[in-house]
Amino acid sequence: MTDVSISDFTYQYPKSETKVLNDLNLTFKHNHFSLLSGPSGSGKSTLLYFIAGLYPRFIGNDATGTIKFGDTNIKDIPRNHVSNHVAMMFQNPNQQFAMDTVIHELTFVLENIQTQPDQMDKIIDHALTFCGIEKLRDRIINTLSGGEKQRVALSCIVAMDAPVIVLDEPFASIDPDSRIDLIHKLKELQEKHGKTIILADHDLGNYQGVIDEFYYLDPQTHHIDLLNQAESQHFFDNFESTQTIDKQLALPPKNDKNSVIELRHFKLAPHDSLLLQLDHFNFYRQKTTLITGANGIGKSTLFNALTKLLPYAGIISYDGKNIKKIKPLNYAKNVTLLFQDAENQFLNVTVKEELDLSFSNRFNQDYTHEQVEQMLTQLGMQGRDEQVVYSLSEGQKKKLQIVEMLIMNPPVLLLDEPFKGLDYKSLRLMTDFLELAKTKYGQTQIIISHQLSGLEDLIDYHAHFENQNLTYQEVI
Amino acid sequence: MNPGMKLLLVVLTALEISFTQSLIVNVILIAISFVYVMVKRMNFKTLFLLIFWPLFPALGLFVSQWLYGSDGIHFAWVLFTRIYAYVFLGATFTLTSSITDLALTLEQDFRLPSKFAYGVLAAFNLMPKIREEVQIIKTSALMRGEVFHVWSPKLYFKAILSSIQWSQNLAEAMTSHGFVEDEPRTHYRVIRITVLDWAMFAFLIIAVQVMLFFIRY
Repeated sequence: MTDVSISDFTYQYPKSETKVLNDLNLTFKHNHFSLLSGPSGSGKSTLLYFIAGLYPRFIGNDATGTIKFGDTNIKDIPRNHVSNHVAMMFQNPNQQFAMDTVIHELTFVLENIQTQPDQMDKIIDHALTFCGIEKLRDRIINTLSGGEKQRVALSCIVAMDAPVIVLDEPFASIDPDSRIDLIHKLKELQEKHGKTIILADHDLGNYQGVIDEFYYLDPQTHHIDLLNQAESQHFFDNFESTQTIDKQLALPPKNDKNSVIELRHFKLAPHDSLLLQLDHFNFYRQKTTLITGANGIGKSTLFNALTKLLPYAGIISYDGKNIKKIKPLNYAKNVTLLFQDAENQFLNVTVKEELDLSFSNRFNQDYTHEQVEQMLTQLGMQGRDEQVVYSLSEGQKKKLQIVEMLIMNPPVLLLDEPFKGLDYKSLRLMTDFLELAKTKYGQTQIIISHQLSGLEDLIDYHAHFENQNLTYQEVI
Repeated sequence: MNPGMKLLLVVLTALEISFTQSLIVNVILIAISFVYVMVKRMNFKTLFLLIFWPLFPALGLFVSQWLYGSDGIHFAWVLFTRIYAYVFLGATFTLTSSITDLALTLEQDFRLPSKFAYGVLAAFNLMPKIREEVQIIKTSALMRGEVFHVWSPKLYFKAILSSIQWSQNLAEAMTSHGFVEDEPRTHYRVIRITVLDWAMFAFLIIAVQVMLFFIRY
């Protein structure tokens, strides 16, 4: 029996006063499929890293309390035996492989756990077949799509054959079909192969009827509670209801008169898999367009094409001019991306240096220093001038990032999940700031967001991404 | 030939020609390496680049030694051919050996700690991602009105920040795939240094010594 029991477990990050995990006492039951949910940044990953034996080794400080597999304390397991107890799958598909090809990675895994070489072929064949990726056997991992990489990651776990499998938001960047398929593979591992599955996800789609137990990490109390039938139903219903806000919208005009970015005969197919094909599509001037669609379907990739970070086929034009013919700096001043990862936007070290950089390089003088100071105060970001940007919390990084890009005030601002990790009050402030940038300074905004509530007043048009197509909708 | 032996041979030979001044031996080494890579089917574009890029430093060295040096035109030619000898010797290794095989033999035969062998291999496999990351850093700087050139310190600051993050993630991933440094591992593909490898190595290294000893011009 390999119950994973956690007792009196408390953890706080170095140099932080709050306990992200506060006196946890719970048991992930043997041969159950347990889902651990809670908002992003609430500490789900931290707990999983401890269960997988990666922490405290890869983090500055230890937690108090114990984690046990059955009767064995994880601290009593020698390092080279941890893999006999637990295997882990990570969120980022790009950073879980050491080798070049799928077969080399699987061999590497088996060599590490000292499998006899004459057994390896059989185990590898079984792992690949189980995950339905026999064809990927000799492929170079870097050339695979996100969904394929996560299947390879799962095949490594199947080959390792550890009784406990922990997964940290494993579907955050893969397509919906892969997601459903992988969830069912995990269920099969649990039911037919006796595995214990512990999976963290804040997206509750596709889990109803599959999971056995639903745990919730409360961001206020930092406790984890096992939910009963009614409570989990409530969470699932609640999640369903946030998928739409039932707001009626106008459709954009049929002509090209007010278009600012035009896509013609456009085709986006990185790694030879077609993501998007648009013969004729416009984004409109001084409007806020919301793009929705499933994870991993290609929304961020579209932004990468719009900012010339990725090759594409066909024509994108800005203000009637092919963007390939506009000089890079000039184009970047006009069509600017607010990166999903705030750190990508930072070039300096302290908050003040960051703001000063925006003030000195901005493309127009629309915002006054007083106005910006007031915005920062409203967001609770005042008086942090000397703080190192990398030491801000995720929410504070996001706020600083948005403010500095508002100061730049480009004519077109692309925003990739700009509200992730923001509380509701900050989100409403941000939508007010964006509204002002649009109405007063004429900014065009294109937003990718899973967060819908709170955006009602800002959004003018809604385009849905599905089946390699982007179409305007009359409702959000 | 075993990739580890081949690397050793190439490095030793390159070191030796750094301290000797034989024009003819340089030319012979270039010729032999050239034939070797051609037999191993190198494409013509790579060949062109191999000849084209070293031309600038090689010509620079040649001209400065010829016009301003005190050792005359013979030494100028030695320097010129030495650059090409390095390039083609290097090519016999890089163009015909797989980095994976090298890591395997370094771990199994040369007793290199496995964390180095696999760490280097993993970093090597990250190369395409690093190139993408640099592109992202440059674009993000443009969007804030800054142009980053290859010599901009901030570009390196950002790139180093990313690599620290990645190396951490990679170490975690390798650990979660059962890798523990200094622990025994089994080997699916055993790479041994054969008698033939030793014989080839000895023959070639002796041949280089003999040439360098007898051919002094």
